[in-house]
Amino acid sequence: MSRDDMVEIFRRVLETDSVSVDSDFFASGGDSLLGTRVLSAVARAEGVELSFEDLIEAPTPAALADRVASVTR
Amino acid sequence: MSVVVVGAGIAGLTAAAELAGRGVDVQVLEARDRVGGRTRGIEIAPGGWADAGAAYLGERHTALLELMARHDLKTVPTVMEGDSRFDVRGAASAQSVPGRFPPLSGVALGELFDLLDEVTRSVRVDAPWLGPDAARLDSLTAAEWADTNLRHPDSRLFFPLFLGEMMAAAPADVSVLHMAFYLRSGGGLRYLNAFAGGAQEWRIDGGAHRLSEALAAGLGDRVRLSEPVTAVEQDDTGATVRSASGTTRADAVIIALPPVLADRIDFTPELPARRSGERTGPGCAVKVHLIHPSPLWREQGLSGWSVSADGPLLSTVDDSPADGSAGVLTGFVTGEEARRFAALSADEQRATAIAQAGRLFPDLPEPIGFHVTDWVNDPYSRGCYAALFGPGDWLALGPGLTRPHGRVHWAGTETSTEFFGLMEGAIRSGRRAAAEAAARP
Repeated sequence: MSRDDMVEIFRRVLETDSVSVDSDFFASGGDSLLGTRVLSAVARAEGVELSFEDLIEAPTPAALADRVASVTR
Repeated sequence: MSVVVVGAGIAGLTAAAELAGRGVDVQVLEARDRVGGRTRGIEIAPGGWADAGAAYLGERHTALLELMARHDLKTVPTVMEGDSRFDVRGAASAQSVPGRFPPLSGVALGELFDLLDEVTRSVRVDAPWLGPDAARLDSLTAAEWADTNLRHPDSRLFFPLFLGEMMAAAPADVSVLHMAFYLRSGGGLRYLNAFAGGAQEWRIDGGAHRLSEALAAGLGDRVRLSEPVTAVEQDDTGATVRSASGTTRADAVIIALPPVLADRIDFTPELPARRSGERTGPGCAVKVHLIHPSPLWREQGLSGWSVSADGPLLSTVDDSPADGSAGVLTGFVTGEEARRFAALSADEQRATAIAQAGRLFPDLPEPIGFHVTDWVNDPYSRGCYAALFGPGDWLALGPGLTRPHGRVHWAGTETSTEFFGLMEGAIRSGRRAAAEAAARP
């Protein structure tokens, strides 16, 4: 999953286009409920089960895409 | 022009105040010996108040904020800093977790919220009985929906807790249409669920009951307490409202009651359709207040927020007064648990709630005060937060929700498709009903 794919997921969940690869999910209007929807979208796209802590530790599309890559590699 | 308003909750008092402001001769008949309906203050320390009923608001609640500003009422932010306590893994194994997210599968909960979001968006919020899939969604209970759609044990565990918190319902109590409508009407899943940036951003300083008290003060002796209304008779020249002390005559009547209570009034001529159905149930909420000298949990790095898979206290939240006069942990007992808890004796209620609070917050001393407010069996509310529409209800009741019956107009949060079940919905319904009554020829 590319960083741009992850940006798309963030945009869809946050319902805003103002998300870049370095946007922080929680500073962009995300909360725990919406965060779970990023996790389910990633699971659907990649078959990877990230935890909520993964999103807290890697809250940007860039960091979260890297985390997915590190799991699937 | 004269109007009788039945019910001195927020909806009725809003309607009455609007009409009085237009020079209408208005009388409010209230069954209880207090105003406020499903808001009620309990004094938990000298000058310190807790909300025994409706409590929270957010920035989208514009009518409420405007009314508060007019009556010089301030907001208090809900405080949620520190770790949460979760007991969702069975065997009473409470654990501390940073933030508000329970120690359950994030992916499973995400799938649950995806499904809920999808069905929520599919309803027509201004007229849920008319949406494209309305008939099917109205025929299914949320329990049946969950049974079909939720596969993961964590989403099956969390769904009833979520529904209890959002709308004081057990999944078997409500149709899928009502669940989806309610979530949409309140601003969607995220907004309705959130404290900061959501529908629980603030409380009303000094208690939500102060709004009704301020409205009632402006109406003076036009508000008549202990006057349960039994009948409304209409003829060619007006309406006669029968209540405890006699009859009151008016050009129009506004019924500002929950639907089940509206149906207990005898109307002549009869209503063309009932206001509630066989499956319309009471909102199932019992509120428990555990009082401490101060918010001691904050010193322990805890927010006071907890979620438990087993009752009675399915969630707790820090509702301490802003002035520091006391520490208040509010326990929410909702859905099935509310019915079970409400049936216990006062001693049993106290013992089970305090025992559970002791497991959730083992470092807290026993509370110095304890209050239980049972809305399920309250004869003049018949449930809280709001009436629960079961299977079949929306298709049968929706078309008549706000349709006047001759000189009779309808208010109450259950008649507002905007913010249904909330204080905001009550105010909007009161304004609408007042405008209708004032516009009568």
